[in-house]
Amino acid sequence: MDILIAVINVLIFLTLAPLFEGVVRKLYAKVQSRMGPPIIQPYYDLLKLLGKETLSAGNWAFRIAPMMALASIITAVSLMPLGYTPGFLTQYGDIITVIYLLTLGGVSVLLGALSSKNTYAMVGASREMVTIIMVEPVLAMTFILGALKAKSLAIDAGMMSSLNGSYGISMVLMLVVFLMALQAFVARQPFDIAEAEVEIMEGPFIEYSGPGLALFKYYMMIKQMFYAALFVAVFVPLIYTGYYVVDVAVQLVEILMVFVLISLLGSTNPRLRIDQAVKYYAVLIAVSLVAVGLTAYGI
Amino acid sequence: MSDLYGKLILAMAILLCSAVVVPFTAEKRKLAGWLNFFFVAVAGAILLSISYSVIFVKSLPTQLVSVGPLNIYFLLDAFAGFFLGIIALMAIVSAFYSIEYMEHYDDYGLRSYYGNYPIFVLGMAAIVTVDDLSTGFTIAWQAMTITSYFLVRFEHRKPEIVRAANKYLFLMELAWVFIVAAAFIAGTSMGDSIHAVTRSLGGAHGAVPYLVYGLIFLGFGFKAAVFPFGQMWLPDAHSIAPSPISALLSGVMIKTGVYGIIRTFFWMVPHTETFHFSGAFWGALIASFGVVTLFIGTVQSMKQSQSKRLLAYSSIGQIGYIIFGIGAALFMVNAESATLQMLGLIALVGVIYHVLNHAVFKGLLFLTSGSVLYSTGTKDLNKLGGLINLMPVTAVVAGIASLSISGVPSFSGFASKWTLVSTSLLAGGEAPFLVIFGIIALFTSAVTLSCYVKFFGMTFTSAGAEWGVGREIKEVPAGMLIPKLFLTALCLLQGLIPFFYFRTIIGIFADSGGSLVSAAFRNMHVQDHVFNSAMGVSVGIPGLSSVSSVAVPAVLLAVFAAAFAFAAFLRRAGGSKEREVPTWLCGYQDLHDKTRYRDKSMFAALRNLLYWTGGNVKE
Repeated sequence: MDILIAVINVLIFLTLAPLFEGVVRKLYAKVQSRMGPPIIQPYYDLLKLLGKETLSAGNWAFRIAPMMALASIITAVSLMPLGYTPGFLTQYGDIITVIYLLTLGGVSVLLGALSSKNTYAMVGASREMVTIIMVEPVLAMTFILGALKAKSLAIDAGMMSSLNGSYGISMVLMLVVFLMALQAFVARQPFDIAEAEVEIMEGPFIEYSGPGLALFKYYMMIKQMFYAALFVAVFVPLIYTGYYVVDVAVQLVEILMVFVLISLLGSTNPRLRIDQAVKYYAVLIAVSLVAVGLTAYGI
Repeated sequence: MSDLYGKLILAMAILLCSAVVVPFTAEKRKLAGWLNFFFVAVAGAILLSISYSVIFVKSLPTQLVSVGPLNIYFLLDAFAGFFLGIIALMAIVSAFYSIEYMEHYDDYGLRSYYGNYPIFVLGMAAIVTVDDLSTGFTIAWQAMTITSYFLVRFEHRKPEIVRAANKYLFLMELAWVFIVAAAFIAGTSMGDSIHAVTRSLGGAHGAVPYLVYGLIFLGFGFKAAVFPFGQMWLPDAHSIAPSPISALLSGVMIKTGVYGIIRTFFWMVPHTETFHFSGAFWGALIASFGVVTLFIGTVQSMKQSQSKRLLAYSSIGQIGYIIFGIGAALFMVNAESATLQMLGLIALVGVIYHVLNHAVFKGLLFLTSGSVLYSTGTKDLNKLGGLINLMPVTAVVAGIASLSISGVPSFSGFASKWTLVSTSLLAGGEAPFLVIFGIIALFTSAVTLSCYVKFFGMTFTSAGAEWGVGREIKEVPAGMLIPKLFLTALCLLQGLIPFFYFRTIIGIFADSGGSLVSAAFRNMHVQDHVFNSAMGVSVGIPGLSSVSSVAVPAVLLAVFAAAFAFAAFLRRAGGSKEREVPTWLCGYQDLHDKTRYRDKSMFAALRNLLYWTGGNVKE
């Protein structure tokens, strides 16, 4: 049963991530008074790219980077207790493992960018690394907050701390910080600095085409959904019925709402420069440190 | 059993003999290299066998050994044996690497190199086995310091190298003065064993114990490169020495400082009615030094543009993790609560595990950067790039070492850093400052990652060597690949079977009598709280939730492999053909020396934000 849940978990993410991406694109278009592509366009894009020719930079690092990125996010997803139901694999990792796995995904993007030799890709890689360094602490502290309440670093205990216990001022503070960092987690405006389509031509992905690009795009979609699901699980514990199907369905609806929020924020904000963003992140880190400090004193 | 002391002296005699004999053959460079390797390997094998029997068979008590006219206390317990093993292992590997590597210094003779190398090893082996802070300690420290000084100033015709080496010598002698002064302030005379030092410290009152412990921490802090002392000498000394020596300096020598600190604060602690050792105070102080060191060292490492300087600063950062762990462990084992005490013991296991891991992967990284230097003649990351196809084996090795030091799950750095971070986070309920320290440590491991993204990225991937290096670049000869491959295998093993190392280290502390924690390790049954699950480790501690933390590399690796196979399947599913094309810079320019991305632009926004941490590189 546990193994089945882990598999279903991964399957939900693999099948629904492009759909949510489609929702985001549709909403972007609506805000900008365009028709927009059909909601299932991302599926078509992925399938089409898988069949296209691969233009390669001619080294193995360039080849394995997209596969590493996808593999690391799938591994992270397989540990996640969607619908507050821990799967078989949840016990085999703790929050530190999840944080490192998410970082590994970012590192794969960097590896791809650096091995493509392209100057624009390297500009993107430099920005991506800076973003990882500055945003990861916020993610880490979200987990740690839960861990401190649950007195355990286990993934399910940490993520379900607000479901099982009190909410508290520290949790509210962390919620605000997480929302402010959300666009940076999912690499959307105003923090799509590393990709920046019109400025550095999708940065790290500039040299990628065909299946490599498809895998990277897929990775980005699943990553977005992961952060949305994380937000929902940690901060919005609406109901817990104990029926797996119902709980998952409720969380998926909540995830959809998060994506609506992402689209609205993204489509109405201009991109920041990296030096502006870094100062913004520094404030977020400081505030989340305060939140963790408050939790440690039980507030 | 005491014939182990005889074997120790025998190994040292072999090293001494090597230092006398090998320099005479220095004209024949290869022969001298092989002879040096032979002697070091024989001595190293003896040291490793000693290490094996004290760790896995039985610790020995202190013994007075006559060395010529002197009587010196030696101590071969499991804890000393562990460090002795690391020293012997890395000395053998570096000696083998030296054979080929020293070929490229064709305008420098090797007489001094092979005269000093074995004595340097001897000094390090002695410093972790002598059991006093006066006679034997001085001989060992001077043997280690003076020979390493000559090894660091190997390229003695370059004035900046001599200057840096002189600074190194001066600061190490200063550190020696601090430690020996502490021993005399504690009220001992020449040749007294640590037991005697501890006893007379037990009768001290007022500020004296603080002065003694403070001076010792300062002295070993210099050696271990704690901030701000490490920044004064380490980046210069480690980056200018020949690479096999850098590997020994960073991988092993600074660990003797760690050894000294642990020996002092966990063993040299008297138990009398008048003397109260304030473990909480010293623990918090050492942990604070550690956190500052790990943060500052790693951030400074990120700013460097020279491969060996980057690695050297990163050594400071990694030592920071170790010092932080020592402090946190000291704080926690002296706490009232049983939960904290247990966490402290586990943190201490993590510290020792990280010492071993760092010795292996940092040694490996220095050997890698040495290979790049050998092939290209430059350490400047601005001039390198694109070596992945030219030096394929070195590239793979560098990739694995980089992943290990960055603490990616399933690699060796993960298991040890995980132990340090998770124990300090779990301690949060009762000691909130440790949570903040843990978060800083976690944040810093992302910075560590950026250092190695840069090191690997700007050396092996990206582009630049075709313009920056004016010669044909080839993979290094087999003599330099074999030691690297050996260390790589060890590095992978340490990541995959952490439980074996956990259990061994728990055994080491339980066996090495006389420490603050040996009784605790035996009575609290630490092994019952650290579980082996599918080749990984998990920690369950009374007072916290049932299983509090887990690291299971093998399972994660299997999941990752399955996911990777799925990605590979997707990649092929569409039947896409691959074609190699030149880099596309939007049609206006081709990629050449003027349009490529240089190292000095990397992470500019973050470097500016963290300008105040120092260690900045002038353009």
